[in-house]
Amino acid sequence: MLKAILRREILEYLISPKFLIGISLAVVLMVTSTVINLANYRQRQQDYIDAQRDLKGDRATTTIVRGPRPLSVLVQGLDRKLGTKMEVSSWGIPASLSGYMGYYTSDHLRFLSGFEAVDFAFIVRVIFSLMVIFLAYNSVSEEKSQGTLGLVLSHSVPRDQLLLGKFLGGLFVIVGSMLISALLSFLILVLGRSIALSREDWERIAAILLFSVLYLITFYSLSLFVSVLVNRPSIALMILLQVWIFLVVIYPNLGVVIASNFYRLPSQEEVAQQKEAAFQTYEAEYHRIEKDLHDSYSSGKRPDKSLGLRNAELSAIHAECVYKVDQDFNRRLTEQVALARRAAFLSPAVLFDTGTTRLARTDLNDYERFMSGVLDLWQSHVENTKLLYKDIAAFRKAKLPPYRYASESRADSFSAVLPQALSLFFIGVIFFMLAHVSFLKKDVR
Amino acid sequence: MGTIIKRELLDQIQSIQFLVLSGASLLLFTVNALVFVKNYPVENSAYSRRVTETFAKSSTVNTELNQRPNPLRFVADGGDRYRPSGYSLNPGGFLRALPTGQINFKMPDIPQLDWSFLIRIVFSLYVLLLGFNAISGEREQGTLRLILSNSVRRSELLVAKFVAILAMATAPLLGGGLISLIIVAINQPQILTMANLARIALILPLTMCFLSVFVFMSLWVSSSVSRSSLVLLILLATWVLLTVIIPNTSGILAEKLSRAPSEYQMGRMVGPLIEKQVFDRIRAILSRAEKGQVSSAGEMRQEADKAYDEGQRDLVRHFSNYEAAMKDRAELSRRLTRISPAGLFQYALEDVMHAGKWREDDFLRDARNYAPIYDDYVLKKVGQLVGVSNFSFAVSTTIKGEDVILSSPSPKEYQGDKSDFPRFQENRISPLQGVQRALLDLVGLLVWTIILAGLAFSSFLRADVR
Repeated sequence: MLKAILRREILEYLISPKFLIGISLAVVLMVTSTVINLANYRQRQQDYIDAQRDLKGDRATTTIVRGPRPLSVLVQGLDRKLGTKMEVSSWGIPASLSGYMGYYTSDHLRFLSGFEAVDFAFIVRVIFSLMVIFLAYNSVSEEKSQGTLGLVLSHSVPRDQLLLGKFLGGLFVIVGSMLISALLSFLILVLGRSIALSREDWERIAAILLFSVLYLITFYSLSLFVSVLVNRPSIALMILLQVWIFLVVIYPNLGVVIASNFYRLPSQEEVAQQKEAAFQTYEAEYHRIEKDLHDSYSSGKRPDKSLGLRNAELSAIHAECVYKVDQDFNRRLTEQVALARRAAFLSPAVLFDTGTTRLARTDLNDYERFMSGVLDLWQSHVENTKLLYKDIAAFRKAKLPPYRYASESRADSFSAVLPQALSLFFIGVIFFMLAHVSFLKKDVR
Repeated sequence: MGTIIKRELLDQIQSIQFLVLSGASLLLFTVNALVFVKNYPVENSAYSRRVTETFAKSSTVNTELNQRPNPLRFVADGGDRYRPSGYSLNPGGFLRALPTGQINFKMPDIPQLDWSFLIRIVFSLYVLLLGFNAISGEREQGTLRLILSNSVRRSELLVAKFVAILAMATAPLLGGGLISLIIVAINQPQILTMANLARIALILPLTMCFLSVFVFMSLWVSSSVSRSSLVLLILLATWVLLTVIIPNTSGILAEKLSRAPSEYQMGRMVGPLIEKQVFDRIRAILSRAEKGQVSSAGEMRQEADKAYDEGQRDLVRHFSNYEAAMKDRAELSRRLTRISPAGLFQYALEDVMHAGKWREDDFLRDARNYAPIYDDYVLKKVGQLVGVSNFSFAVSTTIKGEDVILSSPSPKEYQGDKSDFPRFQENRISPLQGVQRALLDLVGLLVWTIILAGLAFSSFLRADVR
């Protein structure tokens, strides 16, 4: 019985004009966005390779560049926003990345912000969720208004099987269309050859697809529930659209408004004062040594080694003090983002976004992991600079270690997104159960 | 006619759509105003502090031209948070953008909840929800035939429906807007000057024109298609295309279409540029000195100063070219967005409110006008125009047995009385000039309205109402 219902539902969906409109729009957008995003990735990757070759830094300074994440082609997340370059030395620990032109001349944030990335994640989040609503809003209500629901149920068709059939049939069509357009996108990636996807990347892509399915199930079961509850299809669609615009557009926005207004960040002046206060204990000594060094050089004398060593130590202490304040500020920025996410935790769009960017490694977590390597490199620089005054031969021989940071393993990423996946799953189950209960009780005349 | 409008209004007032729209409007406009009155004073006092500090310093080395926070940001944000908080000015007219105000760069980009967003996204959608079954719903229920069997002209009925839908969308907008304004007036009364109130008043006709596009669109589709649910479907697909897809894809399309170089490509040219323009020339001077082709130390210094100055100019030109390329790209995306009435409305509103791109351009014009005044001042006080540079050089050589040190000129801070330091004045265009700038966008909106009105009327006049 279930099989017959499934077949009927699938056929009905497939021949409907709304399905054709939806799938054509999704395919066109998916192909266009993948081609454009791939070209953009290629450019960023080329810049990264060139920068790695050109910007080696010197003995005193190491220039670190951060390359684009391959999966940013599908889920751009924050990948383009977070910067590309930093310079580490014994007297300076960067707390954030700048663009390639450096902190004071780079405008990378300014010219990138304001445009939402149109990528696989955007198409699923916005276009497919709407398509789900368009397909499912009348699955029960229209049959009721046309009288076919009473007719179907007058046969020996159990209600739960009919609903399950509708659910699975619709899901098959939706997931099928999503997979077809995703497949086209993957085909472009593979044929484009400018992106090397490892096995781990493909596993991450599979997980992103699974996330997309969960997200679409949430909207599908919600639509089914409303369709069961409301008898007139147009009213059902109207309600669903209001819910959609709230969940996908307004609620995430309100989350950010709440976080930005209830989680206070210190002003730039306060941060500057904190930095000054942190180094105050050493300030006098630092200036005295600087003056002594200056006097020594001006009089043509080589300064005492102990003076140079102390100067290097104090510069390192200064860098550390400033870094601590910067890190504290950075922590607050991250906490503000986390609060925005928590405030909008009931929005499937936010859950989807959090999960997919983590899987694609285009989220904050990956950036912060990258930045965590800074302190070790700085330590090596400090040790190296001290050698300059203690043992010049050792200083000449010493080599700085390569930049290292621990990238998140696949298993860790998967377990990190589990709460979001489960939340999406449970929201879907709850709406399906509500639809089920309402359908069992529904007056089908 | 009056009776029909009354009936339509009564019908709409009782609908769920109207109730939800009123509730949402009230909530969102209140949030908008509360967020603004919380942030604006902080930004404003930071601005005043920066201006005071700049004047207190009155530096002849480098000065800051700060931009006043936009007092109408709650109406149209115009991407102000990503724009520089002002420009730094070096003697010689070299301008460089200052960092933006404090933004959390880790936060995902989402649109600001300003009036422009609320009208563009929320109200346009609700107009469709109010109007989708205006004709098709009545046809389904059979009431359309009944009405038209009386001596009611079709055009009159359509006009009545248009007026009712527009009134029902405008009423919550006026209510919400008024609450927002009251909150702003209580907390920041100085913002509501006559000029700003005139700008805000202009929102009403602009919004009516924008919403009319969607009202006529819904009436057209509603009279052409018989099933209400299909009408809604078509309308929503169009809405998604006009308000979500076109504005969002225009950014990546512009990126693809424009040939702006990447930041790295621009960045890597800086080193060779300075090398060629400055250090090669310095080396050439030194080698000529060695060969005895330079007669005096003064002549050498003069040439070195010239190399420094031209290198400085080239570097500034290099950065300006990059910025211009990026601005061109942003302009291209704006042009692409103008295909949609939502884009036309957004840019028209920004122009009238003096926000966004024009505001920054106007500020830059003021800054360029101020630059010669600053230069005159520096020349008067210091005698030369030397600013802070990205590069410096210091080399020594000998001419006729005399040791000569060639070094890049360093900027000099005048130590005397600087009470006559010229103040920078930022000008704000009048509401009328704003309307003039928005004229093309307004015409675009009117064209959309006229075309859709024509389609709605011709479709309804010929519709089979049985």
